[in-house]
Amino acid sequence: MISDTDRLSLAPGVVFQGGRLADAVRGDAWPLNGSGAFVLSRTHRPVGQIVSEIADAFSLPLETARGDVLRFVWYLNALALVNVERRGTRIRRLVDWVVLAARLAPAGALPVAVARRRALDTRSVPRAVASSLAATLSRVVAVAIVATVVAVQFSAVVGAPGIAVPLALGIATGIGLGLHEAAHVASLRGVPSALVTRGRRTYVLHAAVSPTRRSVVALAGPLTVAALGVAFALGGAALGAPILVIAGCPLAAHALSLTVVGGDGRIACGL
Amino acid sequence: MRALKAFLLGAVAAGVVAYALVAALAVTAQAGGRALEIALGPLAILSVTHDGTSTVTTFGPGLVVLALAGGLANLAAAQLVRHRSGPPGDRVD
Repeated sequence: MISDTDRLSLAPGVVFQGGRLADAVRGDAWPLNGSGAFVLSRTHRPVGQIVSEIADAFSLPLETARGDVLRFVWYLNALALVNVERRGTRIRRLVDWVVLAARLAPAGALPVAVARRRALDTRSVPRAVASSLAATLSRVVAVAIVATVVAVQFSAVVGAPGIAVPLALGIATGIGLGLHEAAHVASLRGVPSALVTRGRRTYVLHAAVSPTRRSVVALAGPLTVAALGVAFALGGAALGAPILVIAGCPLAAHALSLTVVGGDGRIACGL
Repeated sequence: MRALKAFLLGAVAAGVVAYALVAALAVTAQAGGRALEIALGPLAILSVTHDGTSTVTTFGPGLVVLALAGGLANLAAAQLVRHRSGPPGDRVD
């Protein structure tokens, strides 16, 4: 969903220069036509204002201009070249989302999620890990909260007392996501990369690397977190701490990403 | 080589997940002072028994069978996916 008050910004690593849109991560550039250049030279302005200006400049009906601008922005956003800076409160956006979802419900569709690209610093492993954790922090917290709430529900259904187990499961689920992406980024040392979130998906966009390194990068995420999960299980068993073993389960579940069920496993298998 | 990779990754994935789940069940049973036995047909996966003041936990060969089954399942799935996959992209999940 993109509203009139939202503003556009070029994603980190993307520049608009000399009528071309260049992406440092992909190492590629694309020429833009006049109307595309018109829109991208007006980043940080409200979308509604850009629509009005393009309608005036090209003598287009407002609704035609709106459709053209939104299609263009959606396309660039889907390629993680343009970020959409939200305006308005979260509550307002939630209400707008619910209204649009209700309108789309008869078609069996949901509103398309907006992609957001964040910069990653891959100059060294510590920088890579730190920048990845910073980029995923909000998502890690959200996933941890959702997982905890779901675990509390299950816990209540089976009649298990206490909050410790749901909390351990929730925190481990959130931290697992952050470490998974951080391990990918750490293995991309020296390779231009960016973190992209879109709806429930989180992925690392990176410059082309050799097939062998590509496999290593794909395996690094799930293997690191799964190994940590096994370490938790072994450590918890050795220390007689069931909570550690239980916390290890969501971490160990990242091993499933090694299979063709997950994108990482498909890459590692050369598919 | 691709088939071997798919089998090994599937086996590791299934083995790790199965071990973690079984370990969680084992420590929960130990903490609750309960006996527990899980088997895959004749093959034991987990056994938690209490003998007086001590608790004996045994991971059986069923775990290895689960890992091998995971490897075979991943190999079969990889063969299916192979025919539908496009060229490699520029991202990792």
